[in-house]
Amino acid sequence: MTVRHPGGSASFEILGEDHTLGNALRYIIMKNPEVEFCGYSIPHPSEEKMNIRIQIYPEYWEHTKPYDALMKGLDDLADLCDHITHAFKEARDNFVEPGDNSEQR
Amino acid sequence: MDDYDTIYGSDRGPQITIKEADSRHAQIVLSNCDLAFANALRRIMLAEIPTIAIDIVEIQTNTSVIPDEFLCHRLGMVPLDSTNIDDKLIYTRDCFCDQYCERCSVTLSLHARCTGEDNVTVYARDLVIAEGAQLGSPVINDPEGQGTVICKLRKGQELRLKCIAKKGIAKEHAKWAPTAAVGFEYDPWNKLRHIDYWYEEDAKEEWPKSKYADWEEPPIEGEPFNYDAVPSRFYLDIESAGSLPPDEILQQGIKYLQEKLAAVIETFSNKNETGDGFGDGVRSPGQDYSMGGMGGGGAGYETPYQGGRTPFGGGGFGGATEYGGRLMGGHKCVAAVAMG
Ligand SMILES: [Zn+2]
Repeated sequence: MTVRHPGGSASFEILGEDHTLGNALRYIIMKNPEVEFCGYSIPHPSEEKMNIRIQIYPEYWEHTKPYDALMKGLDDLADLCDHITHAFKEARDNFVEPGDNSEQR
Repeated sequence: MDDYDTIYGSDRGPQITIKEADSRHAQIVLSNCDLAFANALRRIMLAEIPTIAIDIVEIQTNTSVIPDEFLCHRLGMVPLDSTNIDDKLIYTRDCFCDQYCERCSVTLSLHARCTGEDNVTVYARDLVIAEGAQLGSPVINDPEGQGTVICKLRKGQELRLKCIAKKGIAKEHAKWAPTAAVGFEYDPWNKLRHIDYWYEEDAKEEWPKSKYADWEEPPIEGEPFNYDAVPSRFYLDIESAGSLPPDEILQQGIKYLQEKLAAVIETFSNKNETGDGFGDGVRSPGQDYSMGGMGGGGAGYETPYQGGRTPFGGGGFGGATEYGGRLMGGHKCVAAVAMG
């Protein structure tokens, strides 16, 4: 097998995951400026398999592997969840029941 | 938050506004957010938040007109109080017991008999929960305090049964869904043109305005179409089935999304000795499925930078790589990598 540029791109298969994680992860990995391409696929609906493909721009091959981009994507998504939790708690604390006569935000 | 700022810029990332909320539903606006994440949240709230529902029914007597299976199905659908379920109950599959116990289940019993001339209606309130149970009581929201109808009995008919309620998620069976529905809408003025409104004569006349239309600026007449625009404001209407309040549904949704991420991170972090930056699951493509992966692997597919290779590398069918065979981890979320 000839691998001309080992590690420049890779496909990962995640078992037990679906579009819930797949699309969100794909999106956040594409936000990474070092990533040239990221796509996901669920080859068959009756198999619980989610494949995710990552290709890194050649100029970053030296120090960034697709694995790193994947891990960064997962971390970024976790950070986003933390942020949403915070935003929701804030919104809930600021929420004024309708019918309450105090000033609506 | 450094990484986070580079993703979302200086604009502080997604914001949440609660439009209206009560014990049964919540309307929230997720703004400055992307479609993929908003949809992940919607999907997870629909299918992956645990609740408790009747899973096993031991029928002693059923002389009603409803067959046993029918009755069991109806009992399964009765919403049971599931607040803070993660602190109170574990899954039976994670429990040491043989079938069920008080660590992984709640028992409810039902005994009803019609003795008079008038028919008797059996309601969810007639389910008697085992003493000391921390959750699992039938949800009753109607003003009469009866709950859902389970069955009707005429003179002489009787029901005597024991129900075992267990923890589960809606991905396995819809009875575990915490939501009755999750409304999901964006772009109420259809500025992005994701919808072609069908019409008889005039779409504007025939289609009602979205209930979220007042939350966004109407389009300006003659405004050029912005083909770069993407949705960024999402209107979610979380409608609880009764087992969990809407705010807990949302918080649990985020929690389980994070648990998913943690599980995948855990699996991938388990690096192999070669130190190539890949997890244990590295395998050659085509070893246990033939070009069945992403994109179908059409021959002759080329990436711009790596000519003459298929998406799965040059190996093709059954080609072995230096990475060896596929190893399966302990978690259900096993990850594997195809090089190339
Ligand atoms: Zn048990």
